[in-house]
Amino acid sequence: MSTESLTFTEKYDLLGCIQCGRCTGGCPVTVRADLNVRQFVNDAYDEEKLDELARLAEIWDCTACHTCAVRCPKGLKPLEVLIGLRSLIVESGKVEPRVRDALQSVLLEGNPWEKSRAMRQDWMEGLDVRIAEPGEYVENLFFVCCTNAYDPRVQVTAKNMVKILNKTGVDYAFLPEDESCCGSEVFTLGEEGLFEMLVEDNTEFLNEFSAGRIVTLSPHCFTTYKTHFPDLKHPVIHYTQLMDELIQEGKLAWKGELPKKIVYHDPCYLGKQGGIFDEPRRILKSIPGVELLEFNRSRERSLCCEGGGGKMWVESESRKERLADTRIKDAKAMGADLVAAACPFCILTLEDAMKGLGYEEEMRVAEIMELLGEFVEV
Amino acid sequence: MKSIVCIKYVPDTSEAEVKVNPDGKTVDDSRFSFDINDADNYAVEESVLIKEDKGGEVDVLSIGPKQSEVMIRMAMAKGCDRAVRVEDDRIADHDPLMVAKVLAGAIKDKEFDLILTGCWADDYGHMSTGVALAEYLGVNHASMVKKVEVLDGKVRAHRELEGGLMEVVELELPAVLTIQTGINEPRYAPIRGIRQAQKKELNVVSLDDLGIDPAEVGSEASQVVLENLYIPEVESAAEFIEGEPDEKADKLASILVKGGLV
Repeated sequence: MSTESLTFTEKYDLLGCIQCGRCTGGCPVTVRADLNVRQFVNDAYDEEKLDELARLAEIWDCTACHTCAVRCPKGLKPLEVLIGLRSLIVESGKVEPRVRDALQSVLLEGNPWEKSRAMRQDWMEGLDVRIAEPGEYVENLFFVCCTNAYDPRVQVTAKNMVKILNKTGVDYAFLPEDESCCGSEVFTLGEEGLFEMLVEDNTEFLNEFSAGRIVTLSPHCFTTYKTHFPDLKHPVIHYTQLMDELIQEGKLAWKGELPKKIVYHDPCYLGKQGGIFDEPRRILKSIPGVELLEFNRSRERSLCCEGGGGKMWVESESRKERLADTRIKDAKAMGADLVAAACPFCILTLEDAMKGLGYEEEMRVAEIMELLGEFVEV
Repeated sequence: MKSIVCIKYVPDTSEAEVKVNPDGKTVDDSRFSFDINDADNYAVEESVLIKEDKGGEVDVLSIGPKQSEVMIRMAMAKGCDRAVRVEDDRIADHDPLMVAKVLAGAIKDKEFDLILTGCWADDYGHMSTGVALAEYLGVNHASMVKKVEVLDGKVRAHRELEGGLMEVVELELPAVLTIQTGINEPRYAPIRGIRQAQKKELNVVSLDDLGIDPAEVGSEASQVVLENLYIPEVESAAEFIEGEPDEKADKLASILVKGGLV
């Protein structure tokens, strides 16, 4: 039975919900928006109410952090009910202009940032980057991610990766410029048709390559490939797993010291969705001089930065404190000098919050690859 | 209400650097993304809104390469009914009068009430094609339209003029309106809609198919000779305003006032 022929209730298994409230009880967004996911799961059972529910602004407040799915005792994914409602709006074409432009850009240029495909590899300028050829075996095949490829703030993640890989002699190659968006945000924005197309096209594209594994630089690509690409023939890992391996094998030589208190922010797509908690911490602890702190809300309970779920293109109607602000204030209160993360969206949202709060002089937000670039011999 | 919307596939020059090719007459477009001309996108939306309100049909007309068909399919996914794409290397497409003549040739045997098109194109920026098209077809026109009201046999067009003035004119139909951006909020074309639009009629035609003499619309016929393209020299001055936030705000305000900008 194809999903097309399922009713909304069947597709999201609404009758499986026991209305226990663990979803709303854990939802990080409830402190700043009127989002009550349990109510949506309840109300969406009435198919005649779906259009009315889809018009409520709060369906766009969900960050797809998956806390509700992690906590659901029935194994349901309440957030996907909200995504299903978003898709009703997307199919009508009446989405916010920024969402419209991001989705259209994925279709036309293979990225949501409205950048030309021809510019996807501009970040490689001045670097000796190995590019994969279909059929030619490579142990680690890198998927750069649209945000790391185009956003000047986080391009450093990919650049430092290349410098370190070249030094260590790891067998690697990056995908050529016809690489397209993994569709993570297309999925959460509710563009089901476009996401299905990306799954089909990217599976075909990636399967042309012969690789030991695909290494993603963004947790969003990591989780999306692992969760939604059943026919992908390569295993998928996140770069923190590879870097952790290299450190354990003694392949990275350190230079200098970082005598700072670092607190690690678990990206939702890496931690609670990808199950990767220890590798990033081990990497940070390996950097000479680092004292690693822990947030009260860490690991599975990590507070979302609000960068996922398509929120890079949707502004909440709420004027209450952003979760990224809360996160940075917490880090400041515990005396952290640096907030580290391993996700381009987390870096962008947390750094904006840090600057907005005026902590720029005394604190820093950094990608783990940024720190490795500074403290590993290349 | 029968409408025709004329759209153009143009490069987005806002991100990639614009470089003139060694021939001095063309631009290196290898790093640009291409999409529907911005103002034409609003014209598509307006034509669909009129159809939704008054009923009728919308035809798309475009001169452009095969790659532009994705743009045409998007317009059809939004509600346009059928399309004609003109592809012919012999058209002097740097000259808006030649372009308008080809569009008029493609339209002349069709029945229509309204023709909508963008008020300007993001590539050459002539702001002339729509008006010239009206002239060739011998129908009324209004340019820079920010609001459209369809009346009985007429259309009331609100034209955005210099200095914030809005001129309201009534035109007997048929008429050509050149649409200003901001008149509406163009909708998104979902991929499922684009796929369904594959079933709609899209005819690809040449000048010969349209019965247009290439000599009438080619470079020999054009009064515009493209001599040379060059990137204007950038002259700029930046002033950094120092001081506490209040002082900075005062200084900035006085600069804006002195410069006549507020």
